[in-house]
Amino acid sequence: MTDLGVTVLPGPAPIVEFRSVTLAYGRREIVRAADLSIAPGERVALVGPNGAGKSTLLRALTGLLAPAAGQVEVDGHDVADFDRAALARRIAVVPQLAVLPFSARVEDIVALGRLPHEDPIRGPRPADRAAVAEAMDRVGLGRLMGRDARELSLGERQLVLVALAIAQAAPIVVLDEPTVHLDLRHQVDVMELLVDLNARDGTTVLAVLHDLNLAARYFPRVLVVADGRIAADGPPADVLTAARIRDVFGVDPGILWGAPWSTVPADR
Amino acid sequence: MDASLPRSIPRSRFGTLLAAVVLAAAAAGCGTPQSTRITPQPGATTSALPPSTATPDPSPSPAFPVTLVDDEGTEVEITTEPERIVSLTPATTEILFALGVGDHIVGRVEDITLFPPEAGPIPEVAGFGTVNVEAIVGLEPDLVIAGGNFFTPPDGIERLRSVGLTVLVVYAPDVETVFADIELTGRAVGRADEALALADAIRAEFDAVATAASDLARPRVFYELDATGAIYGPADASFLAEMIALAGGDPITTGSPDAFEIPLERLIAADPEVILLGDAAYGVTADAVAARAGWNVMTAVRDGAIRPTEDVIITRPGPRLGEGLRSLALAIHPDLDLPAEGGG
Amino acid sequence: MTAASAGFGAARARTRRSLLREGARRHPRALFGAVAAALAALAVLAVGFGTVAIAPETTMAIVLHRVLGLETGATWSAASETIVWDLRIPRVLTAAMVGAALAVAGATFQGLLRNPLADPYVLGTASGAALGAAVALLIPVRIVVVEFGLVHAFAFVGALLAITVVYRLSRLSAWSGMTSLLLTGYAVGSLLAAGLAMAMYLSGATLRQIFAFLLGGFEAATWPRLAIALPLVVFGTAGILWRARVLNGLMLGEEAAAHLGVDVRRERAILLALGSLVTAAAVAVSGLIGFVGLVVPHVIRLVVGPSARAVLPLSIVVGACLLVLADLGARLLGDIPVGVVSALVGAPFFLFLLRRAQSGYEL
Repeated sequence: MTDLGVTVLPGPAPIVEFRSVTLAYGRREIVRAADLSIAPGERVALVGPNGAGKSTLLRALTGLLAPAAGQVEVDGHDVADFDRAALARRIAVVPQLAVLPFSARVEDIVALGRLPHEDPIRGPRPADRAAVAEAMDRVGLGRLMGRDARELSLGERQLVLVALAIAQAAPIVVLDEPTVHLDLRHQVDVMELLVDLNARDGTTVLAVLHDLNLAARYFPRVLVVADGRIAADGPPADVLTAARIRDVFGVDPGILWGAPWSTVPADR
Repeated sequence: MDASLPRSIPRSRFGTLLAAVVLAAAAAGCGTPQSTRITPQPGATTSALPPSTATPDPSPSPAFPVTLVDDEGTEVEITTEPERIVSLTPATTEILFALGVGDHIVGRVEDITLFPPEAGPIPEVAGFGTVNVEAIVGLEPDLVIAGGNFFTPPDGIERLRSVGLTVLVVYAPDVETVFADIELTGRAVGRADEALALADAIRAEFDAVATAASDLARPRVFYELDATGAIYGPADASFLAEMIALAGGDPITTGSPDAFEIPLERLIAADPEVILLGDAAYGVTADAVAARAGWNVMTAVRDGAIRPTEDVIITRPGPRLGEGLRSLALAIHPDLDLPAEGGG
Repeated sequence: MTAASAGFGAARARTRRSLLREGARRHPRALFGAVAAALAALAVLAVGFGTVAIAPETTMAIVLHRVLGLETGATWSAASETIVWDLRIPRVLTAAMVGAALAVAGATFQGLLRNPLADPYVLGTASGAALGAAVALLIPVRIVVVEFGLVHAFAFVGALLAITVVYRLSRLSAWSGMTSLLLTGYAVGSLLAAGLAMAMYLSGATLRQIFAFLLGGFEAATWPRLAIALPLVVFGTAGILWRARVLNGLMLGEEAAAHLGVDVRRERAILLALGSLVTAAAVAVSGLIGFVGLVVPHVIRLVVGPSARAVLPLSIVVGACLLVLADLGARLLGDIPVGVVSALVGAPFFLFLLRRAQSGYEL
């Protein structure tokens, strides 16, 4: 049950579609014959135990892993048919935290998100710079402008990377466990940001989450991935039952629906 | 070249021949090269040298222009008698002074054991392994005499030639070529007669030593170049080995024409009867040698036959080579009966 | 001066410096122009000075005559003309070219390998070139084609062969792309260095030659060598400049770069090839000159930040300046090796910058 839902209207062609996709690393099959269809403007969470294949599904989506069988389609076209820059304009992936070899300012990192749009010769144009500033504002990083990215806390760095993906201005945003290093406040910040993106811009959001509570609270559609299959697909209330959690995660949960949440004061 | 460092590798016969063929083929077609070079005889261990086959011309034809073949096989044309000469080997500096054209030298190579002293004020335009092309060009020389076998960097020689300077390269891997180089240098600077006389004088000194040492036994001689780290001595068929043989000794060599290092074991097995200290100028004394671990089994050490030598005159392929041979012979045979210098 | 006003003065100085740095950062084009102008001035200075004193008017007259055919009424000796035109100018131009090439290659490898300690030689190019040169020097045959001898050709080929071997071998390893490259480069480089040591051991008199090559220098700079090496350097540098975007994309890693639209596998190969080509051409002409490729990009990043769009073009002019200056210094100090001078000049300056680096851009 959510109180911030987006009604998905049937009709438009799926923006992401997996048709009987099998993914393997060498001979080791990770995902077997997965089917998945995401409509534009959806907000979807992928949950599941470690090694279930969630990240692998994302890698297939972003073209890093060619399927051993089946098709992965974005906007109705096979992912393999996109050239990398074109795909980057359709899908923005929030990068993993990485060690920076050189010192860089926060805005330099966020500006990387404009790479798929940049003119190879002339470089960033005013439109690009504006997009960067706007992305930083949206994430609430205005006060960090000009700071060395290496001095930031893990939480702040994660937010910078989210801003990067926002600057990329793609219709699909993909996140792989974006809240791992974040404290509660920042977790909520990121989640609210995703909801905002989805609501205001109609961005399709696909997030792998390890935190079932966040998934349940902020995502109207949850996919449970286990053993290389999509074990369940639907609203959290239907999908995250005690039986399923016991089955998939091997843990006996206590579930409390409808507990009051306090909202974070908007004092950014 | 003196032996302040181990001597350069004697170029293999084949290598020099091939280089000469390639260069001659690459040259813009000339006739048969004029050469009065005496064919060098490597590793001569006899004490008699063949006499000079060139005789002074009774009616001298004009000395210039002349085309000479230098020791690298390059044809070098010298159009007029050089007035400004740059000498890039210490031996050449000495030769030029001995030929009486020392005042024509406008630039020379750096030399720690400079001879003659009159060469002191001449500006240095090259160092050990380096050559200052700009400085040489600035001196506007009409002849540059360089050292072969990498003594003068080949790049430098090429550079000097590429800007139009006349460069003659000399390199004497054996004693016979020293005489050839003296005569070559003489012809290059218009002092052919003086050069022949000089060469003859040195040959006479060589003959005197050969005669004096002919009946004497040949002791095994080890000529030490350096022993601060590994032990360095004469390579097989090297200039130094030849000199020792000509001086009446039996040279102990490193066992290979390319190596200057001799393992201590090999030296002990060879058991030198005389040890000559080419590194005496660096402060090595007979006592220091005798005190070295393992050296006391050698005959030379037991007999106390460890003698210093003036390395420069023994190894420099210049006018003092005869004097060098004398001193070497006396170091090997202290009782050698040699006529006083200047005679014989 | 009281402590308070002294502190204030220092703060004002800091503000001035950081304003200057901000200005430089915002207007990299203006900075480029300024450095290029400095390069031109330095080049002129470098041609005017040398072992032999030639009056500046004479130098100018010679240049004008040879370049534009102008007669200025001045006269000069043939020796002066040879010195200026055949010796100094090719030397200065070669120094500029090599400085630019090494700095750009260094920036490229640093960005490509995401390693601030990378330099143009990190993937075995140095050892390959050195071994090639040593082998060429040991062969008792001299072949010269348009003033390119065996040494230059073998050094060039050796450098490229080394990087090819490293690249091929790195593909076989289980490590990820860049780590694999670095490790393989280190291993192959060590192997080649061992080969070089063996060659040096066997070399005898040629040892001096090999050392001369290893120390690097511009004494042998000639117009024909410049004419052959320059197109290679220009081609390679242009190709790299074109790919500034790619280098930026690699900043957060290969996966992130792929997500940002970079064809990582292809671009990695291309950048490696271009960087190595440029390095090989520089090394073939002037031997191994260190320091420039490693430090110049860092100095530039300290001022304008890590974006390759600024760092690459600035590397060209700053690298050129450094080596022209170093060569001039080397000549005036009695022909000591250029690599020594560039390190002596560059290292203290670099340390100074490190101490003064404001937050915002540190190493």
